[in-house]
Formats: sequence, structure tokens, C-alpha cells
Amino acid sequence: MNTPFASLHPFVLLVFFLFAAGFSMFLMHPVFLVISFICAFGYSVYLKGKKAFKTLGMSLLLVIFAAVINAAFNHEGFTILLYVNDNPITLESLIYSLAAALMLLGVLMWFSCLNEVMTSDKLMCLFGKLSPSIALLFSMTLRFVPRFNRQLKKTVSAQKSIGRGLDEGGFFTKAGNGVKILSILITWALENAVETADSMKSRGWGLRGRTSFSGFRFDRRDGLSLAVLLLLIFIISAGIAVGAGDAKYYPAIVFPEFSFFGLTIYISYFLLMAFPLIFSLTEDFKWYRSKSKI
Amino acid sequence: MVSFQIKNLSFSYPLGEGKALDNISLEIEKGEFAVICGKSGCGKTTLLRHLKPALAPHGKREGEILFEGRDINSLPQREAVSEIGYVMQNPENQIITDKVWHELSFGLESLREEPCRIRLKVAETASFFGIQQWFFKGVEELSGGQKQLLNLASVMAMQPKAIILDEPTSQLDPIAAAEFLAAVKKINFSLGVTVIISEHRLEEVVPLADKVIVMEEGRSISCAPWEAYSLLKKMGNPMAEAMPASVKIAAEISESGERERGEKRLPLTVRDGRLFISEYMEGKVPAESGKTTRFSEKKVPDAVKARNLWFRYEKNGSDVIRDLNFSVKKGTFHAVLGGNGAGKTTLLSLLSGSLKAYRGKITVGEKGEKLKVALLPQNPQTLFVKKTLLEDIEEGIGAKMSGEEREKTARRAAEQVHLQNLLSRHPYDLSGGEQQKAALAKVLLTEPDILLLDEPTKGLDCWFKRELAEIIRELCEKGVTVIAVSHDIEFCAQYADYCTLLFCGEAVSTAPAKEFFAGNSFYTTAANRMARLFFPQAVTNKEVISLCLASKAKA
Repeated sequence: MNTPFASLHPFVLLVFFLFAAGFSMFLMHPVFLVISFICAFGYSVYLKGKKAFKTLGMSLLLVIFAAVINAAFNHEGFTILLYVNDNPITLESLIYSLAAALMLLGVLMWFSCLNEVMTSDKLMCLFGKLSPSIALLFSMTLRFVPRFNRQLKKTVSAQKSIGRGLDEGGFFTKAGNGVKILSILITWALENAVETADSMKSRGWGLRGRTSFSGFRFDRRDGLSLAVLLLLIFIISAGIAVGAGDAKYYPAIVFPEFSFFGLTIYISYFLLMAFPLIFSLTEDFKWYRSKSKI
Repeated sequence: MVSFQIKNLSFSYPLGEGKALDNISLEIEKGEFAVICGKSGCGKTTLLRHLKPALAPHGKREGEILFEGRDINSLPQREAVSEIGYVMQNPENQIITDKVWHELSFGLESLREEPCRIRLKVAETASFFGIQQWFFKGVEELSGGQKQLLNLASVMAMQPKAIILDEPTSQLDPIAAAEFLAAVKKINFSLGVTVIISEHRLEEVVPLADKVIVMEEGRSISCAPWEAYSLLKKMGNPMAEAMPASVKIAAEISESGERERGEKRLPLTVRDGRLFISEYMEGKVPAESGKTTRFSEKKVPDAVKARNLWFRYEKNGSDVIRDLNFSVKKGTFHAVLGGNGAGKTTLLSLLSGSLKAYRGKITVGEKGEKLKVALLPQNPQTLFVKKTLLEDIEEGIGAKMSGEEREKTARRAAEQVHLQNLLSRHPYDLSGGEQQKAALAKVLLTEPDILLLDEPTKGLDCWFKRELAEIIRELCEKGVTVIAVSHDIEFCAQYADYCTLLFCGEAVSTAPAKEFFAGNSFYTTAANRMARLFFPQAVTNKEVISLCLASKAKA
């Protein structure tokens, strides 16, 4: 995926997603919830097009289920709407359920975007900064899994050619053939790993100190973006510290009173959450303009 | 200047009988291109591994090895890693990471280079080897040839002074192998890196070499490339057969050659071989080639017949097999040749019944006849289950037999493929050729009437090829029909009864082997390409030699 925002340095992406998901998870104020959800969904549509609606539909089912459960089993709150089997259903718990549902949706959406944006190369770059060995392990696993799969297919068809297919004989024969294939594969993996180990040794694995190379470079654009993000995060955190993000649902619903300061926080929050979208659309616009000049 | 100097090196493995290396003394100059040849199991790999400290085998060792004047074992680790590169046989197993760029940087990461230096070196290496196009790809997407080139490049990224290659092209098809060797040549010619390479496909590397080192039973002799053939032949070493056709023919023609060899180098390439034959034939009348020994004219029934076959893998994909017609006569060895992606392996799958054509028909045997078809897979390791070869072959026998009978049958199967002496070995401890034969034994247990072979000569040295041909011959005499798909022109020309050329899913031509190759101009043996001006019908080395010798001077 090489959309404009996704082409930023992995570290910038990490900072963004860490705070976007974190804020979405802990700020239960409805304004924040709505902003986060809309921005996450908007970016998801930008990245995946129609597929985003499918993701939304799937998560919606899950989330509605969770909300219904909460409303049915949580009886806190003053305003009782009705009784079901002597259990009170309260307005507060109903509204809280809706808020929690929105929160979950937002977080899920952010994770689906993260999944699109954070390719294995980028993860590797981040891991590499932490520990080159972990990065390598990760990379070797990614190499091994498809290889193992391919060998599995080959083995199955080879066994079939000598009459040991997975579709022959009764249940026990089939199971026996399956176990045999697994055993062949494990032997294969272990034996061939010896050669991989030799290749690693001959290229200096085990020497003290290991650096980690990745194709990403932290340039001016990344620096500026990171600065903007950090500034916004700072403003929002300050707002949270003085209670702009507080929201009380039980026993009664209480939100902080509207203030000019509060509005600033809302705007900052919107700018933060919409950053990927704004960034991507601006870049796209620049691209079209520079192309139309030619 | 000397790059490697080996002085009286002897080595034996802890549990092995006898010496794996026996008093070897060698010198390899800086910038030299040295080829090591010998039968498998002659100690090539053991010797090569001694030249790379990280891979030196454990065991009893005497003598010393100097690298650029210093004892190789006293080299600082970092130097030993970066200055001596090592590339192994299997392209898959050597790749460590999942991305091409990461693989290239692996060695440099180990050497604790700064990321900005790595960026430069990786970029340089990738451009030198022409890897830019697939630099960001995952290694899974690469072809076998690209993978091996990547292995070479990732070793070269550390900028070694010498590079050691252990049968690097044995798993590649001829075109990828030629490309790989061209890259090795480029390293040697334009960077001056010392190259030590062991190979059994000698036709391609010997012309590049400055020196050939012949190994036999742990001992070694060095000689010039054009002397190697005579030397090998004198020693009775089967590797003589693997030498380029030109040098073989030239040496045999001038058998009287003892006289000439002193002044004249024997030709190593087809180009020089052509000149050699032209000179030899000057003033002589080309001998008539006897009527080509055609396969018996009497009518032999068809074992397999395919008519108007069409196949594609996906509904909207392109056709892999298109309007293919061909038939195979019973009890013959029929080879199907063709380049990569010509549909060879797909054809085998169709014949074995694991894929179904969407149009057209395959008939096996005559009406009412039921013939069993078995396929030998390309990778023998997909068949091995047990700890020893004997148990493994026994495992392939159905459960109906008693213990004793089973062992007898297994032993008989092993005999069929000439493996009776290795029954107590672990299948993975066998050499590539032996593994191939073991897999063949397992497949033969199903008592097929039609045996399908997928690239049977891949990774085999000429010794095993000849044995394989013998096994196939024996099977054919028993009435088994053998169909092999192969890249190996020389093998097919020498041993097959019929050949079919497959191109883009079509059977372009089918003919008895001799006629088939005599009619082609690119897709034919080296011997034919050399001698076609005088003997267009001669395909094998033997034929060319005998015809040359039979040619008399003009009256």
C-alpha cells in the first residue's frame, strides 16, 4: 500500500496509531467518540474503497451484540425506562451502551487501517530499532510460512502419485496418510534448516553487535508531520488533564459544560484524527495539479 | 600473489573410515578462476568447506591452509566472514529472510555496518547484478535462477576477495544456469575476485576456467582446462564424460593427439571445436553416416495417446496446454523437451491423471487394457518417511505382506535401482543422485506400466545419469513405458528412443531421438552443432568421433 500517509516513516505512523487508538479507547465523551469514528471510517474508505463498508458491517454486528448485552445486564442509573422480568433497563445504561459501541467501532476501524498501512517492512524497521534479533526472527518466520505451505502442497501431490492421497481409503487410512505427510514435512523442515543455519553462519550471524537496515529514511516531511502530531497530542493531553474529556454516565449522565477551551480541544482532536485523511487528500490534490500542468 | 595456499591437508571425519582428504597441496592465485571436479563423494565439498572457517567440518585435520599468506584459522572472525564468500547448492535453503533487500543486507548487518553504508553497498550490489527490478519483492515470488543469483549477490554485498561456490547451478535449468555462470564470470573478470567453483555441469564452466582441479578419493591434481580431459580419462575417472564435447571429440580424434597436444590447446567451446573439425577434415571426404539406426519399424502399440488436449489452470487464465497431440509407444523411453513454462510438468500431471483436460482425450493402453501410471516427483524428499532406506522402502509396500516377505520385496526394489549397499543409511544422508534413485524405488513398488519422470537428471552428475539411463533401459526391456520431461538435451540425445519438443503447450515435433536432434539447429547437442557442416546426421560424441576417423583423404 503506498498511499501518501502510509509512505511516511514507520515511526510517525506508530506514534499516530498509538495515540489515535489510545485516545479512542479512553475518551468516552460523545463528541470525541463521534470524531474518532468518523475519521477512522473515512480513512478506511480512502484506503480500501468499498471493502471498508464490508468491514463496517461485520464489526457492526459484533458491536450491537455487545451493546445489547450491556444494556440487558447493567442496571445502574437513575432513569428507569422499563422492566424486563423484574430487571430494570435504564436510560443511562442504554446510552452508555451506545457510547461503548461507538468506541469499539472506532477502535476496530483504526486497527483495520493499521493493518493496511503497517506492512511487514515497516514493522521490521520498528522492531529493528528495538532489537535486531527479534526483527530477524520475524522476517525468517515470514519466509518460512509460505515455503512450508508450498512444500505441503508438493508433498500431498507426491504422496498421491504413489497412492497415498488424502482422499483415499477410509477414515483411518486418511488420518494415517495425513500424519505421514506431517512427519515428512517436519523431517524436511529440520534437515533443510541445517543448510540455512550454515548460510547464516557464513554470512556472519553470531558476531557481536548487529545493526538493522531498513529502506526507510526519516526526512524533513516526516519530521514536520511528527511535530504537528506531537503538538496536537500535547494540546489534547492538556485538555484531558483539566477535564475536557470527562464524561460520567452513572448514576446520571454528566458532561463538562461547553466552553471556548473545550472547543479548541475538540478541534485539535478532529485535526489529529483526520490527519491521515487530510494529509492524503492534500498530497493527491498536489499530484493532480502537477500532472495537469504538464 | 597467492590467494589460497593449501599445504599437505589431510582430514578425516570422526566416524568415517579412511581419509576424506588425503594430503592435498594446492595453490590458487589471486583472481584465478578454479574449477574443482570429481565424482560425488570424492571430497569436493569437504575441501571447499575447509576454505571457509565458519563452515569447516569437525574432525581430525592435519596440514595448513593459508589465505593471503595468513593461517586461515587465525583470521579475525569479521575478516573471515567478509573476505571469503560461500555459496551452496540449494537456492531455497540459503535464503534467510523474506525480502530481497533484507537478504542483501543480512551480511552487512552482521558486520555491524552503519545503515547509511549498508544502503550504499546494497544499492551498488543490486545494480551490478541487475536486481533493481525485483529489489522490493518478497523472495517467494522469485524463480529458482533469481534466488540463486540473490544468494550470490548477498555474499558479494560484503565485498569478498574470494568466493567459493559449491555446485551452484545443479538445481537450475540450463538457461538460468548459464545466466548464473555469466554473473560469476563477471565477478571474476571485472572485479578480480578469486573464484573457486565445484560443478558437475562442466561444459559451461571449463571454458571460463584458468585451472581445473581434479579430485579422486581425497586426492587432487591441478591442470590446465584443456588437459583435464586426457588426465581424467587416464585416471579412469567417470567425470571425463562431463567435459565439454569439443575437448572430448578433439582429444579422441587426435588420439594420435599425443603428438599434437604439446603445441596445441584442445578446443573448449563449440566455436573452437568447429574450427578444429574443419581443420581436421581439410582435404578429406566426409564418411557416409550409416543408415540411422531407426527404432524397429514393426508396429508397436501405443501406451499413451493424447488427442487435441487443452488445459488451463483458471477459468479466465491462458491455456497452458493447447491442442496437444502426441503418442508414446509401448516399452520405449520417450523424452519431452522444452523450455521453462512450455507446459512440461502440466503435461505430466495430465498424464498421471491428477489434472483433467477441459477438452481432448488421453487414452492409456488399448481397449480393455488397464495400465498403471506412476509419477516420480521432482523433489525426492517429499517421499521419505522413515529412519533408514530399508524401512523407508518397506513402508511403501502395502500392509498385506508378512514381515519377511516385505523385506525381500524391499531388497529387490533396492536392487532394481542399484542401491542395495546403502540400505542402512538415513534417506537424507544419501547424495542427490542416490535420493533420486531411492524415490524411484518407492515409486516402482506400485508396479507401474507407465512411469512418468519429472526432470530426472536435475542435480545429477554424469555418473548417476549413466546409471539412471541403465535403470530406465532395464525397465523398458521389462515392457515399462518411460516418459520423462527434461531440459537435458545431451542426456535425451544419448539415451532416449523418441523425443518430443514442447513449445507453448503444443507438441511441435515428435521423432526418434537421432532424427529429432539432427533436424534442429539450436536445440541440439554440442557435438551436432560442431560437426553439422560435415556430418549433419551425427548427434552424439561417439558418432562424430567415429565418422571423423572413418573419413579418408581425397584421392
